[in-house]
Amino acid sequence: MPGEMAHHPQQRQFNPYSENGGTILAIAGRDFAVIAGDTRQTEGYSIQTRYAPKVFTLTDKAVLAVNGFAADGNMFVKKVKQRLEWYRHAHAKDMPLRAIARLIQTMLYAQRFFPYYVYNILGGIEDDGTGAVYSFDPVGSYEREACRAAGAASSLVQPFLDNQIYFKNQKAAPGSAHPTHLPLSTVIALVTDSFTSATERHIEVGDGLEMYIVLASGSSGQGLEGVKGLRELSTKGEAERVFVIRRDLKKD
Amino acid sequence: MSIMEINGGSVIAMVGKECVAIACDLRLGNQALTIATNFEKIFPVTDRLYLGLPGLATDVATLRERFRFRVNMYTIKEEREITPETFARLVSSTLYEKRFGPYFVEPVIAGLSPVPSASGKPEKWEPFIAATDLIGCLNFAKDFVVAGTSSDKLFGVAEGLWEPDLEWEDLFETISQTLMNAVDRDAFSGWGGIVHIITPDKVITRTLKARMD
Amino acid sequence: MASADGGAYSYSLTVFSPSGKLVQIEHALATVSQGTTSLGIKASNGIVIATEKKSSSLLIDSSMLDKVSVICPNIGIVYSGMGPDFRVLVAKARKSAQAYWKIYGEYPPTKVLTQEIATVMQQATQSGGVRPYGVSLLVAGWDINRGPSLYQVDPSGSFWAWKASAIGKNMVNAKTFLEKRYNDDISLEDAIHTALLTLKEGFEGQMTEKTIEIGVVTVPTTAELEASKIGAETGRPKPTFRKLTEEEVRDYLAL
Repeated sequence: MPGEMAHHPQQRQFNPYSENGGTILAIAGRDFAVIAGDTRQTEGYSIQTRYAPKVFTLTDKAVLAVNGFAADGNMFVKKVKQRLEWYRHAHAKDMPLRAIARLIQTMLYAQRFFPYYVYNILGGIEDDGTGAVYSFDPVGSYEREACRAAGAASSLVQPFLDNQIYFKNQKAAPGSAHPTHLPLSTVIALVTDSFTSATERHIEVGDGLEMYIVLASGSSGQGLEGVKGLRELSTKGEAERVFVIRRDLKKD
Repeated sequence: MSIMEINGGSVIAMVGKECVAIACDLRLGNQALTIATNFEKIFPVTDRLYLGLPGLATDVATLRERFRFRVNMYTIKEEREITPETFARLVSSTLYEKRFGPYFVEPVIAGLSPVPSASGKPEKWEPFIAATDLIGCLNFAKDFVVAGTSSDKLFGVAEGLWEPDLEWEDLFETISQTLMNAVDRDAFSGWGGIVHIITPDKVITRTLKARMD
Repeated sequence: MASADGGAYSYSLTVFSPSGKLVQIEHALATVSQGTTSLGIKASNGIVIATEKKSSSLLIDSSMLDKVSVICPNIGIVYSGMGPDFRVLVAKARKSAQAYWKIYGEYPPTKVLTQEIATVMQQATQSGGVRPYGVSLLVAGWDINRGPSLYQVDPSGSFWAWKASAIGKNMVNAKTFLEKRYNDDISLEDAIHTALLTLKEGFEGQMTEKTIEIGVVTVPTTAELEASKIGAETGRPKPTFRKLTEEEVRDYLAL
């Protein structure tokens, strides 16, 4: 019959996930940890906002960076923070870093068949006073490392870090060894360089840089003096100190 | 599965002070399986001009011969050596000829081009690097160019390590570290490398001992 | 058999006469030597090519006639002989120059283009159903490799490089004149005047900007070369060959 449309079976699908770009990075020192992320949030080729934080302080000595699907990331941080508050109510103290790491694994794996579409990097100070970085995959596989990059430009940044932090493919001068921990000033310089490089070559990275620095109790904080854009978040009297450095990245 | 990832491989070129460097890895694979660890992807064109061809190995071999033929014909017909600039245009037009059935390679060109002088004999040489995509779109970069399966990693490391006006010894160190650390994060590239540093009076070729996994 | 007009061999293009000649090519040369005189002089800082432009009637608009033609920004040619044949060769030469540009991103060196034209002309001496081109050409151009160069191409397809040459009617006299006048460090300005003086020798009628055509090759400065490079301001070559305007020709004639 003319005018009558043929009825084909149609399938509709809802995609609950999206990818919002950006990159995060964390490096552990002997008595400090640096956790950083850019602040650009994208969807496809559009920039949704130039300031969407991806790095969050959890406790006085734990900072979490979340990258991937922003909605999941924000929700996940909210839930972690809630669990940490419950912990404080029950135990009257902050949860230790290694325990937060295990908690994050449990929370991620709980969503094994509908995962949070995010890569997590947790940085901070362990109970023994050492700087630590824990990195996670979206379903909770995790590992303690000295450094880790994740997100859109991780493939650009990680090999650079392998070279500059782990001294991969480099040979120490005869009779000497590569340092196992780098000084804070070097780490800050490497993080800054990593993000300016990633901004230069990756369209989803840029706008702003937020770099959190957690100093262990008794740490001198040498290397922070005279740093531009530095602000202390911790109040006097706390054992560990937390700082943030905010920098502009290119906006193009 | 991308065609570039069938055989794998990467090439990078960098500009230094009155010198250029070009380097490649040595892996030849069949998807995840490594077939050979002595597969060079960089070929000499003239005394001061090299061509890197990462990509589908069969096309790498075919194009190497095609460019050899076309450059030989040029040299005989024109009674002169081809300059890097002209060779780059030749690469571009040769690839664009096959616009709708392309060769799966991402050529990288590195050389020194003669600066015309009053005496006629070139006394000065200017660094030249360029890269094209698989259909010949030219990119004349002033710092470095990358290609192959670890191009993103190469970009990241090179952007962090490279600086202008490096002497050839330092340029060798920079390009070698960039290549090795990038291919170590790429399953399709690696298994050793080769670096050519082109200076006005000599070409230094060195093989890199790297991770073999 | 071997009569004055070429006899049995005169009509076949591709058969040698017993004396070793291809008479059709000889006839083509005869056509050329009936054509108006053209000449070229290589100076120390450029080249001049010039020709006499003759129209058969007062009523012809001579501004339409083009005897000196630009092939590409660095090469120009002039001819003696048959106008229509020249037109065809100009079209082929321009196409060849553009084809070269498409491959190498630059225009061909003078020698390469000359060779290309000579090949076309040679093919017309060996193919079936065609006749040789009834023209001789003077090709003037500049390239980075050889600098300014001047070539002559004949109907046979043979070509030579000249310091100065003349073709067409009066070529023998003109060449003798040029031999006397030429020296290796003549300037382009002097060469243009010598060219006009040489043409004047065998000129019929009045030499005016309407009856003379001049083309010049100049040598680019280092700055101009730099500007034509990839990524530079223009990225286009500044023409090194150009035709003189009627005004410019008039000024040279007045001096």
